[in-house]
Amino acid sequence: MPGLLIKNAFVIDPLSGVKGEVMDIAIRDGKIVEDVPSGAEIIDVRGCLTLPGGIDSHSHVCGTKVNFGRYMSPEDMRAGRTARKGVMHVTSGYSVPTTFGNSYRYSTMGYTTILEGAMAPLEARHTHEEFTATPHQDMLANTLFDGNWSIMDAVREKDVKRAAAVVAWTLAAVKGFAIKLTNPGGTEAWGWGGDMSSVHDTVPNFDVSPAEIISTMIKANELLNLPHSVHLHCNNLGVPGNYRTTLNTIGLAPDLNKERQSLYLTHVQFHSYGGTTWRDICSKSEDITMAINSRPHVVMDMGQIMFGRTTTMTADGPMEFKLYKLHHNKWSNHDVELETGSGIIPVYYSRKSLVNCVMWAIGLELALLTKNPWQCLLSTDSPNGAPFVKYPEIIALLMSRKFRENERKMIDQRTEHFVPLFAIDRELDWYEIAVMTRAGQAKALGLTRIGKGYLSPGAEADVAIYPIKPGEIDPSVDYQQVVAGFSRTLHTIKRGRVVARDGEVVVEGANSTIWSRAHVPPEYDMGKDPEFIKKFEQYYTVRMNNYPVQDVYLPRGIRIETEASL
Amino acid sequence: MRFLLNTGRTIKQGSFVERKNNPSYQVAAATILMNPVDMLEIMVEEGNHVRVKSDTGEVVLQVSPDNGLTRGRVFVSLGPYANHIVSPETHGTGMPDFKVTPVSIEPTDDPVLTVSSLMERCGGLPYED
Amino acid sequence: MKIEDVVCSFCGCLCDDLVVEVDGTRVVSVENGCTLANEKFLGDHRLKTPIRRSGNSWTKISYEEAIAETAAILLDADRPLLYGWSGTFGEAQSIGVHLAEILGAVIDNTSTVCHGPSILAIQEVGHPGCTLGQVKNRADVVVYWGANPVDAHPRHMSRYTTYCDGFFRKDAFKERKVIVVDVRETESSNIADEFMKVNPGGDYAVLSALRAIVRGKGDIIPARVEGVSREQLFRVADICKSAKFGAFFFGVGLTMAPGKNKNIRNAIELTEELSRHTKFTISPMRGHWNVYGSNEVFTWISGYPYAVDFARGIAFYNPGETTSVDILKREECDACLVVASDPGAHFPKACAEHLARIPTIQIDPHVNVTTHLAHIQIPVAVAGIDAEGTAYRMDGVPIRTRKLFQGSYPDDLVVLEKLYAIVKEAKG
Ligand code: SF4
Ligand SMILES: [Zn+2]
Repeated sequence: MPGLLIKNAFVIDPLSGVKGEVMDIAIRDGKIVEDVPSGAEIIDVRGCLTLPGGIDSHSHVCGTKVNFGRYMSPEDMRAGRTARKGVMHVTSGYSVPTTFGNSYRYSTMGYTTILEGAMAPLEARHTHEEFTATPHQDMLANTLFDGNWSIMDAVREKDVKRAAAVVAWTLAAVKGFAIKLTNPGGTEAWGWGGDMSSVHDTVPNFDVSPAEIISTMIKANELLNLPHSVHLHCNNLGVPGNYRTTLNTIGLAPDLNKERQSLYLTHVQFHSYGGTTWRDICSKSEDITMAINSRPHVVMDMGQIMFGRTTTMTADGPMEFKLYKLHHNKWSNHDVELETGSGIIPVYYSRKSLVNCVMWAIGLELALLTKNPWQCLLSTDSPNGAPFVKYPEIIALLMSRKFRENERKMIDQRTEHFVPLFAIDRELDWYEIAVMTRAGQAKALGLTRIGKGYLSPGAEADVAIYPIKPGEIDPSVDYQQVVAGFSRTLHTIKRGRVVARDGEVVVEGANSTIWSRAHVPPEYDMGKDPEFIKKFEQYYTVRMNNYPVQDVYLPRGIRIETEASL
Repeated sequence: MRFLLNTGRTIKQGSFVERKNNPSYQVAAATILMNPVDMLEIMVEEGNHVRVKSDTGEVVLQVSPDNGLTRGRVFVSLGPYANHIVSPETHGTGMPDFKVTPVSIEPTDDPVLTVSSLMERCGGLPYED
Repeated sequence: MKIEDVVCSFCGCLCDDLVVEVDGTRVVSVENGCTLANEKFLGDHRLKTPIRRSGNSWTKISYEEAIAETAAILLDADRPLLYGWSGTFGEAQSIGVHLAEILGAVIDNTSTVCHGPSILAIQEVGHPGCTLGQVKNRADVVVYWGANPVDAHPRHMSRYTTYCDGFFRKDAFKERKVIVVDVRETESSNIADEFMKVNPGGDYAVLSALRAIVRGKGDIIPARVEGVSREQLFRVADICKSAKFGAFFFGVGLTMAPGKNKNIRNAIELTEELSRHTKFTISPMRGHWNVYGSNEVFTWISGYPYAVDFARGIAFYNPGETTSVDILKREECDACLVVASDPGAHFPKACAEHLARIPTIQIDPHVNVTTHLAHIQIPVAVAGIDAEGTAYRMDGVPIRTRKLFQGSYPDDLVVLEKLYAIVKEAKG
């Protein structure tokens, strides 16, 4: 293969320090190279915006609860269906598309890597099966530890090293990527119908608090030298007044890592509410961003909501039940023994609902008030805030004050009394958007070590070329063009191959699954630990031998190896 | 006499699902359980044959007593015999009425058909290995 | 050779603690399994080669011939139906869905005649459930409604409920109350602490009565509801409300009875009502081994758990219309591929008659009732014995089965991939 040359690309590559230069990009054997021999295929993109492939650092696309979202929602499946065409399989679904639906839609938007936000270890095999059916993106799985009995036992014993050892064994067994804590302690309490209402509550029967779980896991994470930090969904999601819990949580984070943050907070919009009830709920984005701005070792993603229909799904079972009691639509719940929980309900975010308008504003404020774009990444916690196909609109809202003002006219007129949004002039630029949609994710997830998120030689050739000429349009005014441009690439290149062109997928994919393997000294091998083994013999309903995800489930697995400092 | 037919899984029927040409499968699937008083009423004894008729069809089964059944109700394990008398109507649900088929039952000297001859009557060709 | 932690491939319990001794290509003993598992592993009654019906006789044919002819039949059909799937593993089911997609066929699985109505109810009101280990470790109240686990899921009670000690239930048999609700006495009702005998077709009314009591509207309950006394209804409601963790399991006794999906909806809404007072979960007793896996696989590929019709190019779903019994009853399909199930035994006679009328091809290790109706049968390796792959337990936990020995039969995946390749080639 003589390679591929992308000519006249308007490149923004934040990790390589390229802030908008017209240049050529040479690709060979799936990598970015210095140059290619003559005879290489040439694509002249005539000054179009060229970015590293998009990376979603928090989305729900594969696994038990996602599939249950599809299973229980034929109305959503009907809302987005396409027929088999060329290499493309049939797709169904709007907010919870089928795996191929997710893969094609992400690919045509220029996304080449996705992190699944929540995988229960016991059900990991399911997530991996769906990963292989999401062929156009490299996939990673956040692995849930929020209600893990072995972890809570270690936390109670104040044994950080043991907690680290449990994480190392579990990630290796289930081929997980990072530590996810969803409402830590709350999912175990939900096993009895309870929940946690602050980081200092006590988890029934385990005698630990969310704060202790979080602090221990942050340290354990660094002992294992994992690529990503702890990925946290705070307690009290969606509760008026919850910003205090969030501030308390941020306060728990030490600065332990030079390369990246020590704590990643996900969908922070859902955790930035003031007020005491749904009647007086207001934005506390200023308090939250003030805390973030003063702590460079904390990174968050927005969790933006967008108006319209979607499906909420999270490991946070108790939260979904609370939400169900408000919405009265339909409710699914799925608790996972010794590990975690989950819940699903459909929702409709309405411009006529003051609460929803406040939520909408908060997400945008978080992005606009965070000074450093590397600390606030773009997300909707798809599909919780909105399906990911809404990202282009969010980008446009962040880039255009005018767009926001137009929206202001359409929403509940009382909104402005509860949020600071309309007093914010800031409009993000192309560079900041590039940070918030790929470079920031690569850095936060620790994926630069495997060549993701940048375009200099040696990097993986994952490239997104959008039909946008940055010099020729003013995003502040031409925001509709921004929406259209980010909705479908001219070319999406994955590992050196053009996989999508003008909104259509053109080849069959062959993705990889990226997982973490932390090597621990033999005395920390939980596979030989009698207490740990006992949990399988007595309390799990699956034998320890049948628990690990076999290699056949990762046909092109990429293992990130680390040496634990134990 | 009129009865209400119920069908369901039984461990015997389950045990033979992988050898349905076996006579034991036939015994498991072609047995109709009845309350003993009902058996007296229609004058049959354990092992006797009865003709069971519904609006959909009819089939010959052999009787076995079951004290747990309320009078007027009968039970056949799910399988090809029961399906000879269950209606294919699903009322728009995809699921036939497997649990409540009104039937009439009378004694008969006719034999209980083998599974393969039952299928032959449906247009199939018996395969004997 | 003794193999440990073997996964049983018979029922939806997917017990994964069997110890199986194998001698060459023969299973010689099974430990820990129930009667059904023993039959499954020790039974050796396979069809030896592919067979084809030619007029009034059966002939042996080669795999190549059988697969080629199957492909030709499916390609020639205007409205093929691909039915079954519960007895095979996910990887094969996945090829099945893609085959249906490319053929513009209807694909349906056995939930169509077991828990299809449960799926319809879940699509209306959702499903508050949990994994079986939650029940094992926590439940102090277990309800079986229209289910007879002793016969249909023989180890359900010993592995997950009644007899199974858990972390918070050190002496399960004493600490756990078992309520059985059924229209007849069964082995299961005999061991219940409380047996509620309901008139046939009366489940909906009894569920409604319980909901009313839990909601505090008990004064409207008459002296008897469908054969159940007011006293017993109040007693059962009280046991449920005062549970610390209640687990409700329901079987085909509820899905097949009059009311069908409405019964399940009522049961789910009762669970939701109870969740406002305490912790309560509900779970269907999925019967046929990997039937839940077929729902999962169909869903992530097509968006729908069963009864998926690709005739319009897109995936279309309308149970009652696109379900197998309805399609066969209307004599609508003109070819049928049956994989890993036995519609000849489990569908009403009118459906069997239509299967005999059209070319029906069966991919299955054993001679079953459908064999006598088929045009071609292709024997394959048995999932969980000489074929391995992914299966989903009734609670959604995915487990990989083991291959105990290398036999001489190809597995479902191999046969289906060959079939798919021919069809894909022909369709371009
Ligand atoms: S209960 Fe079911 S899965 Fe378990 S051994 Fe018996 S048949 Fe097999
Ligand atoms: Zn999330």
